[in-house]
Parts: sequence; C-alpha cells; structure tokens
Amino acid sequence: MRGLLAAATVVALVPLVLILYFLFRKGLGAINGNFFTSDPNGNFLGDPGGVKSAILGTLEMVGLATLIAVPVGIGVALYLVEYGRANRFGSVVRYFIDVMTGVPSVVFGLFVYIVLVLSGIGGGFAGWKGSVALGLLMLPIVTRSAEVVLLLIPDSLREAALALGAPRWRVVARVVLPTALPGLVTGSLLAIARGAGETAPLLFTATLVNGTSFDLSQRMNSLPAQIFADVGQAQDRLVGRAWGAALTLVMMILALTLIARLASRRSRLT
Amino acid sequence: MEASSVTAVRGSRPQIGRLPRVRRQDNALRWGLTGVAGLILVLIAFFFIRLLVEAWPAFDRFGVFGFTFTNNWDVSRNFYGALPLLAGTLITSGIALCIGVPVAVATALFVTELCPRRLRGPLTVMVELLAAVPSVVYGLWGVFVLIPKLHGFEQFLADRLSFLPFVGGHVPGPNYFIAGLILAIMILPIVTAITREVMATVPPDHKEAALALGATRWEMIRTAILPYSRAGIAGASMLGLGRALGETIAVTLVIGNAPTIGKQIFDQGYSLAAVIANEFGEAANNPTHRAALIAAGLVLFVLTLAVNLAARWFVNRAARGRRATTEAATSGAAA
Amino acid sequence: MRARSLIALAVLPLAVAACGSSNTDTSGGGGSSAGGTINGAGSTFAAPIYSQWGNALKSQGLTVNYQPVGSGAGVAQFAAGTVDFGASDPALLPADRQTIKKGEATQIPMAFGAITVAYNLDGVAKGLKLDGQTVADIFQGKITKWNDAAIAKLNPGVKLPGDAITVVHRSDESGTTAGFTKFLSAYSKDWASKIGSDKTVKWPTGTGAKGNDGVAAGVKQQKGAVGYVEEAYALQNKFTTAAVKNKSGQFVEPTLDSTTAAGEGVKIPSDLGLSIIDAPNPKAYPIASQTFVIVYKDACKAGKSKGTATALKQFVDYGLGEGQNVLGQLQYAKLPAAVLSKSKEAATGLQCNGAPIS
Repeated sequence: MRGLLAAATVVALVPLVLILYFLFRKGLGAINGNFFTSDPNGNFLGDPGGVKSAILGTLEMVGLATLIAVPVGIGVALYLVEYGRANRFGSVVRYFIDVMTGVPSVVFGLFVYIVLVLSGIGGGFAGWKGSVALGLLMLPIVTRSAEVVLLLIPDSLREAALALGAPRWRVVARVVLPTALPGLVTGSLLAIARGAGETAPLLFTATLVNGTSFDLSQRMNSLPAQIFADVGQAQDRLVGRAWGAALTLVMMILALTLIARLASRRSRLT
Repeated sequence: MEASSVTAVRGSRPQIGRLPRVRRQDNALRWGLTGVAGLILVLIAFFFIRLLVEAWPAFDRFGVFGFTFTNNWDVSRNFYGALPLLAGTLITSGIALCIGVPVAVATALFVTELCPRRLRGPLTVMVELLAAVPSVVYGLWGVFVLIPKLHGFEQFLADRLSFLPFVGGHVPGPNYFIAGLILAIMILPIVTAITREVMATVPPDHKEAALALGATRWEMIRTAILPYSRAGIAGASMLGLGRALGETIAVTLVIGNAPTIGKQIFDQGYSLAAVIANEFGEAANNPTHRAALIAAGLVLFVLTLAVNLAARWFVNRAARGRRATTEAATSGAAA
Repeated sequence: MRARSLIALAVLPLAVAACGSSNTDTSGGGGSSAGGTINGAGSTFAAPIYSQWGNALKSQGLTVNYQPVGSGAGVAQFAAGTVDFGASDPALLPADRQTIKKGEATQIPMAFGAITVAYNLDGVAKGLKLDGQTVADIFQGKITKWNDAAIAKLNPGVKLPGDAITVVHRSDESGTTAGFTKFLSAYSKDWASKIGSDKTVKWPTGTGAKGNDGVAAGVKQQKGAVGYVEEAYALQNKFTTAAVKNKSGQFVEPTLDSTTAAGEGVKIPSDLGLSIIDAPNPKAYPIASQTFVIVYKDACKAGKSKGTATALKQFVDYGLGEGQNVLGQLQYAKLPAAVLSKSKEAATGLQCNGAPIS
C-alpha cells in the first residue's frame, strides 16, 4: 500500500520534472545573443528575432494590472474585515468575490473585448485593456488572500489601539496594514504570478505586435501571447523561440513565487 | 463573536466626540472602503448583465435549450448549437478528474501520513510548483512532447482495448485524451493541496483509536482518514473540475479544434473555452456569431459557477464537520 | 496621512484607466499618427508577402503591424475598425460589404499564389497525382488509407504505403479554405451539396489548426497527414505536394510558372473581385488564389487620421510597385499587366476627406 501511494506521488512529480527538463533543454538552446535584446521581426525566412517586446509588454501590462488589482483588492478585503464581518452587505460582497474567483479567464477576456475593444473606446486593441482584463482576474485572488491575512491580526491589537484613543483610520494605517504587510505582499505576488502567465485575456485585448511599445494605449506584445503564436508554427526557429520565451516566463513566475514564499516566511517570524 | 467586540468599541467612539475631524476621517475611511466593495458588486452585476444582453440574440434565435444542446456548430451556415463544445468540455474535464483525483488523493495521503517528515516540505512545494507553470507552457509541452511521445502508446491502447466502449480506431495527434491528461496535471496542485489540508485536520484521536484497535496503517487510512475527509476530497475535486472546465489555451492547442462530438476518447473535438479563443476575431462583424460565442461563454460561466458552488458547499461541510469534532474533542478533554 | 494616501492609491487605477482612455482618443484609429504605423490583419495565405514588404518599408520609416489571423478575421477586424487595413484572399461578398459601415471599401488585388495539397508520407518521394474528386473524398473522410484504389488508379507504378490518412484543415475563417473548397465543390457533387464552399465549412473529419502555419505544423507533426497550404509554406517546410488535375485534364504541379499561368487572361470585374481558381489554361495550376488588401476608399471619412491614410497609400503603392518584384522570391506570382494597371488605378483613387492623397 505504501508503495502504491509513493508511486502515485512519483507520478504526480513526473510532469514537473519533464516540463522543467524540456524547458531547459529546448529553451536554453533557443536563447542566443540577441534573444532578449531584439523584437520579433515576423520574417518569413531567416532569423525570427527575439522576445524583447514580449518581455517588456508583459512587465508593463502586469504592472498596470497590479496597480489596479492590489489597491482595490486590499481595499475590499479591509472593508470585509474591518466593517463587513457580520453584516449582510459584507457577506454578499464576499460571496461575489468567490464567484469572481471561479470565472474562467477567457470569459473575462471576452467581457473586456466586448466592453472596451469592440465598442471602440480609445480605438481597438490596447495594452491598458489587457491590464484591465488581468486586473479583473487578479482582484479576487488579492482580496481572498488579503482577507485571510487581515483576519489573522488579533482583535486585541485593534482594541488596544482604539482604547488608547487612536482614530480608526489610524489603527488601520498604523497597526493593521503594517502588521499584515508581509502577508499582503505574499498574496499580491501570487496574484501577479497568476496574471503574468495568462494568455487568453491578452489575446482578446492587447493582441500581438512585433515592436516594443511603452504606450499602453497601443497594441502590446506579451510573453504568453508570443508563445501561443509561436506554438502553432511549423518552423523550428519559431518553435525554438516559443521554448525560449516559455523558459523566460516560467523563470519570472517562479521567481515571484519564491519571493512570495520568503515574504510569507518572514510574516510567520513576526 | 469577534465582530461584536469590535462593534462595542466602535460604538463607544462617538461618545468621546471631541475630535470631529478625526470622526470625519474615520467616516471617510469607512465609506471609502464600502464604496470600493460596492463597486465590485456593481462591476459583477454589469459583467453578468452585459454578457446576458450580448448573448441574447443567440438565445433568442436558437432558444436557450436549443443553443446549448443542439449538436451542430456550423459557422458557414451561421447555425450555432453548442453541444459538441459542451461535450468536449465535459469529456476532457471528466478525463482530468479520473486521472487527476486519484493521483492527488494518493499524493496527499502519502505526504500527510507515510512519507518521512523531512520529505514533507519539499514534496509539497514541488507539487505546488505545478501551479506556477502557465497554461500556454502546458500547451507548448503538450504539442511538442506529449502528443508525439504518447501517440504510439495511445494507438496501442486503442487497438488492444477496442472491446471497451469509446475506445478504438485511428488515433490522431491532438485528441480528448491528451487534453484531459494535461488538465489532470493542471488540477493536481489544487486538489492535492486542499485534500492535504483536510487530511491534516483529522483528529489524531481517531487515527490513534484505529491503530490501538489493531488496525494496520491501510485500515486506519480506510476507516479513519478517508471517511472523515470524504466531503473535503469531493470539494477539492469540484474545485479542480471548475479549473478544468474553464481552461482555455492549453486545451485549444491539443484538442484538435473539430466542432464534432468524437466517438471515442482518442478522437479530436472542441471545447467551449477553445471555440471562444479561436473564433472571437472573425465574429466581430457577424452579430449572430458574436452572440453565439458570448452565449458559449455564458454557458461556461454558469457551468463553472455551479461547480464552484458545489465545491464551496462540500468544503464548508467538511469545515463544519471538523469544527464539530474539534469542539467535541475539546469538551471531552475538558470533562 | 497614510489613510489619505491609501485612499488615493485605491482611486489611482481608475484615474489611470481614465487618462489612458482619453490619451487614446487623441491618437484616433489605432494610433497611426506621427511615426507612421499602420495596423493590418487577415490572410495568412499572404502573410509572408506583407512581412517581407513590412521589412522593406521599415527602412523607409513606415511600420506595418500585420497580424496573420485569417481572411475572415481580417475582414471582421477591418469592419469593426480595430485595424487600418484588412487582407483577404476571396473578394468581398455583398454580405461582407453590409458589415462595413464606416465607408466604401476598396479591394485591391496584390498577388497570386498556389494552394498546395501537401502531405507527410514516407516512401513517396515524387508528387502524387490527384484529381478534384479524389482530394474531395480524402478531405471528406471517404478515403482513409493512402493506398486506396482511387489514389492508386491515378498513380500507376507508385508504391503506396497503407498508412491511415490524417486530415489537417483550418479552424479559422480562411481565404485559403474558401479557394480550396471552391475547387472541391467544382469537382465533387457530394462535397458541393453536403459541405459547400466558404471561408469556413463544417469539416466532417480531421484536425483543425489556425492559419496556414498551423496547418503546416499539423502536417509536419503527424505521419500520414495531408493538408492544404500556400506554396510558400510548403516550400518553407519542404513538404511534398500533389500535382493536381486542372480543367483541361492536365496534372500540374504548383510552381511559380503554373500559378502565373492561372492568372493569365483572368476576367476583371468592375469591383476588382476577381478569382483565378480552376483556370482553363492547360498550364495553369488549378487551386490558385488571388489576395486582396482592403482599405477604405476614403480612410479619413472612416475615422482614420490623415497620417494613417497617407501611410496606407504608401503601403499599397509600394506593394504594387517595387513590392511586385520580390514576390517571386517567395513563389508568389506577380499580377499580370492588365490586373496591375487596374490595381494601380484603385490605389490612385484613394482619398482623404475627398481629396486625393499625394
């Protein structure tokens, strides 16, 4: 029996090992001198170019999405913990945040596509619309994790501060948030890691371009979309770029995940 | 009960009432946060209503039932019946559960009960790392590693097991089974994590009692752990199912994109999410097609919502059961 | 203090989103102002051409963002106003024109190419001979083995392996599919009545893939697979392609010459919506296709900036001028003189707010 369970565990780990093995074997081979410094050039023959615009596009769009999702997400969590623990409105909000967690990313993408792209607000596809789609996806993750962390803060701490005559906003700003900070950082980083790997919402909103852009009102490239485009190709040089880009993306996300874990470890110490 | 003590403190604030500026700031914080929370509700309402309005032309033309359960997705004749897509979504997710859940439960059991303490942390982290791999990378891996490497094996299975229903015939590269297998890997981390948490809450008394009665480890697992965590495992599987149903990019790359219901598990098909990802661009100027895709999105949304609600119910039940036993245990200890 | 900055932080994203949208309003239709950028989408059949032209134009200061998403999506995106030009292989249908509401669309023929029947079959070095009926039966799932009697009959003396046939077709709305199914409909009554010809059809069998490149990948990755791709993709991937029986009963391989032959003496309708499929010339490759660039006759009235209109004209002019000379490298055929002069006429007719673009 023990052997069977151990075997199942090994089976569960095989995919990870295989994925990492192929990512490194094929990805490292594809990463050459100008992989990170040149844009995809769309050439039908010859050197296909690198993934510079995709990396920068991912950073820009995920950055803006973070600016949207983290403050709002933590704000909602603060409401839920500070004011909405027992009332009806709070439980309704909590319920719909749960609903949001379950919405498939492709449906969020479709929604933003209808509301912002097809309606022609600001002219067609744009990076900021990609950020909105990613933000919608990240928001419930931020809120759920933030709520858990904020609930961990003992009420005695809040009460002590209030009893000393501190106004409530001060308690929130000086006691609650700083105490919860490492946990909030962890949750946000995990949400960012999740958002950075999403493809479907970006295909609908920011679409694909070759060139680097620093203007979020323009179409924007991203690593997942670039990989998606290159996977469907017959050409080894393009498939190679997909592996290289995939390795880059996975390393970025793993780094975020690791930092998130370290942050949460710190919070356990305090 | 925690909330009430806070309320009591909050209730005492106005009596002091000597700093109106502070109170204004407190109110600003309170209503600001309430506003943000309310904004979310408005957003979700808008989200749902907008999808419904946009999907309406399709439901109006084919009927809600007709759209969802007609086996004909024919863009060239502008006729949209989503059954082949729904079938593909359900078949691939079903395969994912059949493969993923047993492995996940076994892994969780091994990690919580059997493995050396030293290995526990690393094993947990490694399984959870699977969740950090983006969907498009699973797709890439599926297309260039799984499909070519497994093709011979699949054909072998199809030939040898052709006496079974839904098995047999010529196996194309992309198919339901490959999609289901990738989904199984993708849901492993969440199902394992939740199952592990549920198992960790089995009261030690139960396990010790079983062992004291002379049960072997396996009997202890079967009589103490599994019955106790059944609801939790069901909830975890449901959450995994919710993930699998909505997964888009990895499935799009390996399912074969054929809007027909395959006759066997090695046939190619289509899924709700994949059709949206593939056809949204060309549907922009065809109102019926666009409405049909949004309707497909809505069907998917309702499906995942139902599954997630079921998951919540199971997990809550598991949590309630846990609380009840813990309370019983503590009161027993007190007595 | 901190509470205030916190609230400010919470409101920030809304502010960012708001100013994001107001910024984009000024840049008009897809931001094609100062630097000279135009966005196009559509045909994957013609994508190699536009990428080649785009590279040449970049040195002249014009950036062409071309997204190969299929002819169907190209027309749809053009109609929805998310791109500056669309690219489609089949001519616009009246139904397409109805969806284009922002102005009158002009379709300009740019080049001709061949849709090859490409396959991945070990042991058959030379191109198989196939006729329309047989190809239709293969793609309809009636012929499932490579050594089927129908194929053997057309290829006496060729030793055919008994591999199963895996069909790879397009999953998106495609001009390549439109041309291919139009050809099949002409030679198989069963195909014409059950499946018909369109940019997308209800395939009875096979794997769907996005774009010519996707079909090429599908053919490359599966032994025994057969698909239909533009010749440039077949050459790029070193596929073996079939010699297809044309209208005069000759088996013709897809080459630059046979594609050029297909375009000779083509009838040119007044809206330039020509088609070179199944040409009568005995030297013509039968499954040849044209490809169009679709622009607004008056881009400025359709909401694009003057800069965009000028850039579009520059792009079209290049394609009909110097661009014609690079087509051969990619095995696309130049437009014959009669078509080229009509295309140039259409290009000259492009306007901005009623005034010709210089």
